[in-house]
Amino acid sequence: MNADIDTPRKRRTEHGLLPGDPSVEKLLERIVRVDHAGEYGAVRIYRGQLAVLGKTGTGDVIREMADKEREHLETFDRMIGDRRVRPTALMPVWHAAGYALGAATAMMGEKAAMACTAAVEEVIDEHYAKQAAALGDDEAELRATIEQFRADELEHRDTALEHDAEQTPGYEVLSAVIKRGSRLAIWLSERI
Amino acid sequence: MKLKNMADDLNGMPDRLLQAVLRHVPFDGWSAAALRAGARDVGMEDSSVADIFPGGPRDAIRAFSRAVDLRMVETVIGADLEALRIHERVALAVETRFEVLSLHREVVRRGFSFVALPQNSPLGTRLLYKTVDDIWYAVGDRSPDFSFYTKRGLLAGVVASTTLFWLDDDSEDRLETSAFLHRRLADVMKIHKARKCVETARDRAISPLRIVREVIEMRYGRPVAGDSQVT
Repeated sequence: MNADIDTPRKRRTEHGLLPGDPSVEKLLERIVRVDHAGEYGAVRIYRGQLAVLGKTGTGDVIREMADKEREHLETFDRMIGDRRVRPTALMPVWHAAGYALGAATAMMGEKAAMACTAAVEEVIDEHYAKQAAALGDDEAELRATIEQFRADELEHRDTALEHDAEQTPGYEVLSAVIKRGSRLAIWLSERI
Repeated sequence: MKLKNMADDLNGMPDRLLQAVLRHVPFDGWSAAALRAGARDVGMEDSSVADIFPGGPRDAIRAFSRAVDLRMVETVIGADLEALRIHERVALAVETRFEVLSLHREVVRRGFSFVALPQNSPLGTRLLYKTVDDIWYAVGDRSPDFSFYTKRGLLAGVVASTTLFWLDDDSEDRLETSAFLHRRLADVMKIHKARKCVETARDRAISPLRIVREVIEMRYGRPVAGDSQVT
């Protein structure tokens, strides 16, 4: 057999780019910026939920997930400094919006809070999957980090579903609205 | 990563051409004439000037500013910053930059005239941003939050005004510039302190976010004791 065919060639990040796409450098900046913003938003959402549900039975479940998100945020805090990527200028917006979303859904009840978590984590999952697919072997470390975080986020989604997220009245609508909002937040944070 | 690439550039062709061009800028300004004269000095064809600086004087001024920033970063990172407070580090970085520029004051003056033209003002803003970004990087600031922007904004004002002062400072060792710089930094520190005051005052006073938080705390924060609570 021909050795060239058997050994897969190293896939670099730029191999996935099409004409008109942002350059590799820009792509990496966007990835780090939006992920940093996303983890920050997640921390704020959980903080909002904890303000309402902190002393109830689900408090510990949420606290556990919140701790994970804080770890993620610390990783991206470091990365944004090391790679000299500017954080999104919308940080103050996510600061308030994340908290508000978390607190509002938590006030609607524990199930609604879990529905919010499930919706957000689902969007993050597909978002991380897309990023991991775009990154080549030259960014293996970043890709591994993203894959690992993605696994964590999926776990959070499963936890939320286990806690009856889907039994919220109007689950479909609530979930769709939150998903749309999360996608908009991603789009904005990549650019601004 | 980016810094290393620029270092490679510096040892190569653009730097040699840039060095030659810098000798003509005081007389011809940042112009095509200065580029041509510089190229002639190093025995370069006019066409290769276009290869190195496709955007003409704009690219040359960008290369100059970035090279100065790079040298500033290298020097400051190499210095012992441990004992210095943050505004002292910043002062050191800005003064290091003037040190690097000390032989090129006329070049900088011409640069100001160049970016004062309306069509070049975006370039001037971008170069100023890059400079303050490098200064914060060099002094070890890695803010991952919104203060990233306020820091750069405040420092941009300090660097721009101090550079204008420096252009006409003929005092010994540029001591006047140093004093001016420290006064500007002290002003900025005052803004910082004032903001802290405003923030504390705001936190004490009524703010929408605070009301929301307190309502939540009143409603959910207290331990649920019996069923006397109104729901």
